[in-house]
Amino acid sequence: MTFSTRLQCALLVVLSLSGTVEAHHSFAVYDHTKSLTLKGTVTRWQWSNPHAYLDIDVKDSSGAIKHYTLEGTSINMLQRVGWRSNMIKAGDEVTAVTAPLLNGEPGGLLLEITLANGEKKELPVPAANTFKRTPEP
Amino acid sequence: MNLKNICSLVALTAGLIGFAQAGTNAQQASGNIPDITGSWERARDPSIPAQSQPPLKAQYLKEWQAKMQAIREANAKGQPIAERVVSCLPDGMPGMMAGPFPMEVLQSKGQVTIIQEAYTQVRRILLDHPAKTVDDVEPGFYGFSVGHWDKGTLTVDTIGVREDVTYQNVPHSKDMHIKERFSLGSNGLLLDEITIEDPTHLEKPWTFTFGFRRMADYQLLEYICEDNREYADEKGVQQIRIPSNTR
Repeated sequence: MTFSTRLQCALLVVLSLSGTVEAHHSFAVYDHTKSLTLKGTVTRWQWSNPHAYLDIDVKDSSGAIKHYTLEGTSINMLQRVGWRSNMIKAGDEVTAVTAPLLNGEPGGLLLEITLANGEKKELPVPAANTFKRTPEP
Repeated sequence: MNLKNICSLVALTAGLIGFAQAGTNAQQASGNIPDITGSWERARDPSIPAQSQPPLKAQYLKEWQAKMQAIREANAKGQPIAERVVSCLPDGMPGMMAGPFPMEVLQSKGQVTIIQEAYTQVRRILLDHPAKTVDDVEPGFYGFSVGHWDKGTLTVDTIGVREDVTYQNVPHSKDMHIKERFSLGSNGLLLDEITIEDPTHLEKPWTFTFGFRRMADYQLLEYICEDNREYADEKGVQQIRIPSNTR
């Protein structure tokens, strides 16, 4: 079994368990009906428990910059599926697929990220399949 | 000390360690004490019955059902009621046995120690140790646990869990006992049959079972709860701290 296959197996185990074993924290503040994709510059990657946080600055078409706070999963869950703290650093240009905050504030739940090196990674979000991915407007 | 003496000492020490380990294994084998040391993760299995509703007395059942309904409605509105973990407080007993993170079991002389990775929760089960009364124990998150092995089953009695430390929001009194029976199932699962006894709140004991699958090559990871941007607002609703909207 290759390392990559082992990682995929570990991810599957985490995902299959996550729907049945109690989660600690509620993700009900995030919109389950639509996704929001953000392209921006990382200002901080907070590698912490209970959850990781990613801060990014996103420039709109007029050039104005909006700051977003994105919540990740526990860094222990991330490590178990192959993530490392040094995969993201301030200044990186990334693309984040998020479930936006329902209250309209500039924040969201981080579902997937395309790293500065082009690698695409999903997060082991509990019950991830309940967050609908929608096309960008 | 010359090299020869050092080598002899190292060999002797290694031999003693090996003898001690062999002694422990022999004792475990002859005494019907299974080896449950290692990492485990929560696992579902058809052999494990689904958890039943807590058999609370009528007045408490009504309050509990209302609370669970309020939690469901709050989630549906996107305004979840903040759980204590949002404030970095651990689950305590028996919630720490529910996962969802891995746990480590350590068997040592006179003690079984269980470490839950999430929030680095630790409980100590004192083996063949005199029991205490609730009045002798300061209330805490994990309580005071004594246990003994009998025919391959570790029987544990825990008292002294704080009344505000609840599992699935089920209320209990300071007199609650958490009785557990740990055993290895034929399918290799570690089973923890938990029975909550609390005549003040329950019509009858509440029994449910958690199953765990061995994680052969897993070492528990560090878990420190710090700088959580989730917080409980003045109404007790879970929110996310947004540092600034625009720059």
